[in-house]
Amino acid sequence: MKKISQHFDHFRPAGIQVITEEHAIFIPMVSLEKIAHLADDCRFDSIGPPAAAAIDPEKLRRLGEGTRHDVCASTFSPRERPLPGICHAFTQDGRCVSLFKTLYTNHCTHQCSYCTNASGCSKKAKAFSYTPEELARITTSLYRGNYIEGLFLSSGSGRDEESIMEDMIETVRLLREQWAFSGYIHLKVLPGASQQHIQEAMMLADRVSINLEAASASHLSEICTTKDYERDIVQRQRYIRDFAAGCREDSALPGMGRLLPAGQTTQLVVGAAGESDEEILQRIVYEYREIGLRRAYYSAFSPQAGTALEGSSPQPLWRERRLYQMDWLLRVYRFRPEEIRRAFDEGGFLPNSDPKASIARQLLDGPLDPNAATYEELLRIPGIGPKSAQRIMALRKIRPIASRSQIADLGVRIRRASPFLEINGWRDSTLEMWSD
Amino acid sequence: MRVPDNFLHYLSLHRQSGQRLLSEAQAFQAGEIELAVLPQQARIRKMVFEVMGEVHRMKAFVRLEPLGERVLYGFLQPRHRIGELICEHFARRNEGTIVVLGSGSESWTALLCGGRIYRDQGPGLTETVERLKKALPDCGGGMEPGSDVERLWQVYYDSQYCRERKNVEAFKRNMPRQDQESAGLRLVQRRRETTLDDFMGRETT
Repeated sequence: MKKISQHFDHFRPAGIQVITEEHAIFIPMVSLEKIAHLADDCRFDSIGPPAAAAIDPEKLRRLGEGTRHDVCASTFSPRERPLPGICHAFTQDGRCVSLFKTLYTNHCTHQCSYCTNASGCSKKAKAFSYTPEELARITTSLYRGNYIEGLFLSSGSGRDEESIMEDMIETVRLLREQWAFSGYIHLKVLPGASQQHIQEAMMLADRVSINLEAASASHLSEICTTKDYERDIVQRQRYIRDFAAGCREDSALPGMGRLLPAGQTTQLVVGAAGESDEEILQRIVYEYREIGLRRAYYSAFSPQAGTALEGSSPQPLWRERRLYQMDWLLRVYRFRPEEIRRAFDEGGFLPNSDPKASIARQLLDGPLDPNAATYEELLRIPGIGPKSAQRIMALRKIRPIASRSQIADLGVRIRRASPFLEINGWRDSTLEMWSD
Repeated sequence: MRVPDNFLHYLSLHRQSGQRLLSEAQAFQAGEIELAVLPQQARIRKMVFEVMGEVHRMKAFVRLEPLGERVLYGFLQPRHRIGELICEHFARRNEGTIVVLGSGSESWTALLCGGRIYRDQGPGLTETVERLKKALPDCGGGMEPGSDVERLWQVYYDSQYCRERKNVEAFKRNMPRQDQESAGLRLVQRRRETTLDDFMGRETT
């Protein structure tokens, strides 16, 4: 089999290098005039053009609005060393704005019944499109001003998906190679994109994603007649998985271990196709296990004017929140699917209550002694997370835990945890533990 | 948040820290501070987290205005002694560009050039920027707030709001007013400029 490196001799990941605290050499205080002189000398090292070109605000607004339901706000990318994501602002809906999230174009030929850019939408906005140069310039300007941490680039399909995908990649290439942009880039892969384009996107971005939108092929067919779930979406996810794995194993590609440092993700529109929470979670378990997805995002369906689903009921936002909690239990707490299943009702839906507490009531036969419980057992107690479980394990090596307040000092949410704990033979039994 | 190995550095940047506290803190490891149950250790952890929290929020909320091609400047009036640290962060992020941060009374300047960080500390922001303008005659421009980039940002920021998800409590929790003021964010400033007319016959956006 031909090695992946042989296909890509001409192509290497962009020279992304951030000078971190550890790498920079600090010079004692120097005069302001000397700094000015030095800046003049090293002006060719500076990134990008300084000012944004004249941009039509209507275009910026329309293409920005096109992504407001996309929920990826993470900028965590262990490219150099793990750094926390930074939220540069929050909107009045309490959501983080850390990336310049935009569509490349809002022109789309797909017929998704929930989307205002779909070809069948009766209140479709005027079509706008950026050029790669224009979009790269705006991104650089916002990044230099510290308004954003990077770019989240999605798009409608335009007249031709391939040419739009090419333009999106060109935008990112300009940023990385011409303007030495070291910020975070999340690039959406359009359904049906070619293998070549997917590989190029992976070389340049920190994260790529392709939206599943629905939990299965039959559900997708109910809300979109122009996308083939298996061929256009899942098959593309497998390309991404296989190419990333191939690069990791190919020793002829030095530095490729850092390819796509933030992995691949996906997003689902919750409730548009009438699927149950259990069906969604089943799909996500498959995605984590088989596709190697880094994480999934959920967006509660909200009917938009002019779309085919305009008259449908909006999904409550708590449904989205409960799905995120379940996802967290799967991914971070490592709950097994058979444990997760206990949180669903008979119809396969999650009630509007904490799923971890619901699972704990069914799983735990009796209260646990924090001095004897294993790490996995501690994690299954509501109010105890990975950090506080680790702290409990560390503290009890020094001295036994003898009181509730000791546990609370370790960051445990004691009110939620205490019905499930027995400390020094004493337990705080409440009806709450046994009620639904 | 976790107590980092270099927690003493963060502790030294706290506005209430002094030599006595620092020498006491030297006796502890980061792990001990992390699991602190004694009041003194818990106080150190709280102080370290206060500094780390402000560092994180200033990295997020400070906005930089261009002054020609080689200078970026912004308002910063932190509660703790983190001005230099934040300035260096932005210098690393913008190699080859001079970054000046500060307020009316003090300012910090940093430049990353050839893998080296050059720093200066001086009087108020306006004075430092004026000196830079003299030293870099072609840097042009003035210190007028509200650049093209700011206007672009405002359009984009407004486009991201989902009315059906309105949650002002979460907004306030995530963007504490105190931190917005420290970073000179205009979200706060605009509220302060609001007059009675704004509440009469005009809908808030």
